[in-house]
Amino acid sequence: MPKQLHNHICEEHLFSSLFKKYAKDLHNFLYYKFGNHLNPKDKVQEAFIKLWENCAKIPPDKAKSFLFTTANNLMLNAHAHQKVVLRHQQTPQKTYTNETPEFVLEESEYLLKLENAIANLTEAQRTAFLLNRIEGKKFKEIAELLDISTKAVEKRIYGALKKLREDIDEL
Amino acid sequence: MNRDDLIKKWLNNDLNATELEAFKKLEDYDALATLTKGVKHLKAPEYNTSEELNQILQHIKTLKKPKNNLLLTFSKVAAILVVCFGLYYYTTTLDTKFSTLVAQKETFQLPDASSVQLNAVSTLSFNKHKWSNNRNVTLDGEAYFKVAKGSSFKVHTKDGTVTVYGTQFNVKQRNHFFEVVCYEGLVGVTYDNKETKLHPGDHLLLIDGKLIATEKENLTAPSWINNLSIFKSLPYKDVLAEFERQYNVTINLQKVNDSQLFTGSFTHNNLEVALKSITLPLHLTYSQTDHTITLKRE
Repeated sequence: MPKQLHNHICEEHLFSSLFKKYAKDLHNFLYYKFGNHLNPKDKVQEAFIKLWENCAKIPPDKAKSFLFTTANNLMLNAHAHQKVVLRHQQTPQKTYTNETPEFVLEESEYLLKLENAIANLTEAQRTAFLLNRIEGKKFKEIAELLDISTKAVEKRIYGALKKLREDIDEL
Repeated sequence: MNRDDLIKKWLNNDLNATELEAFKKLEDYDALATLTKGVKHLKAPEYNTSEELNQILQHIKTLKKPKNNLLLTFSKVAAILVVCFGLYYYTTTLDTKFSTLVAQKETFQLPDASSVQLNAVSTLSFNKHKWSNNRNVTLDGEAYFKVAKGSSFKVHTKDGTVTVYGTQFNVKQRNHFFEVVCYEGLVGVTYDNKETKLHPGDHLLLIDGKLIATEKENLTAPSWINNLSIFKSLPYKDVLAEFERQYNVTINLQKVNDSQLFTGSFTHNNLEVALKSITLPLHLTYSQTDHTITLKRE
């Protein structure tokens, strides 16, 4: 009975389980792809509301791609080709340090370089690379999320790594 | 195992113990470790799934259920249909109306080949849309009909109904006066629930609901069509009423008996001649001021 299946997303418990399953990944995907300034949290909300409004038309197995495509489009609408800015996590300030001031300075310089280099990656490379390095996702998981092959994920991540190292050594 | 494969396996967290040793011996191990450590600083802000979920569920409750949208669309369509149907019904049941003013005559076609001539101060109404299966007209005043052959044709008046089957006839209904003259074919007149059949030349006259016997009509069309009013033994007040309708005047009587019978005619084209026609036979004199005419016995 395909009709009954279709109606499932319209039921709150299934909608909630979809949200729990995909919301965080979707948020991280948007964040690493487009940066912080376009407010990925809002776009996640908007995408899920659109899913709810169209719940009768979307079978559950298509929900993930609907969400990612919708959120991506929402971002692109607002994007206007601005430079990606990834904001540093505010790490709690250490009250004492045994590191030399030179080391601290070097480290912050390095981070600045890294930040710029990451911003200069292509969207595809950056998204795959950061999902892997920061969120610790395996190639296969990323492939499923982005609907691409594992080989493509590997290529993107490795390409990103190579480019980053070149950029950082250069500077 | 070469360097690229080691790095890829490391990226995928897939290294076993020996491979890990080999990886750590790579010359760029330090650089890669620093890079990874640095990248971790760019971690996405913490995403509180349950909090966000609560927000979205609250938002969804303020939205209407998607199913209701279907009902809403349906009711919109239904409302439009009702309005359209109402308008259609209203326009199709609306009657078409023709009226004439004082001293005005008008000829027009009915939806089939039938034609009607309206005498002065008369109103005829009918329904154009029901015409094909219901040839009904309502008349107040006087009209001459030339009816095309077809289903029964009815003329409703205050005093009676005239039914025809393809013919020419005149109907005159004024105040207490009801007259039907058949010129061709067959006409049925229903009044007081009984029907009288009129053959060509037959004449039916009711004054105050009383049947007045009249002689055969020899004309082939009513005289008023040719701008002439003919009266045969009719009360003088009916003559004067017709006169007022044709000339837009008011007539005052002084010492004149208006119920005496009058036989004669007057033209619609010449006031002077017409006045003489209705006064000389009764030995009356007339004087005129503007639209008022006073008739006086000598």
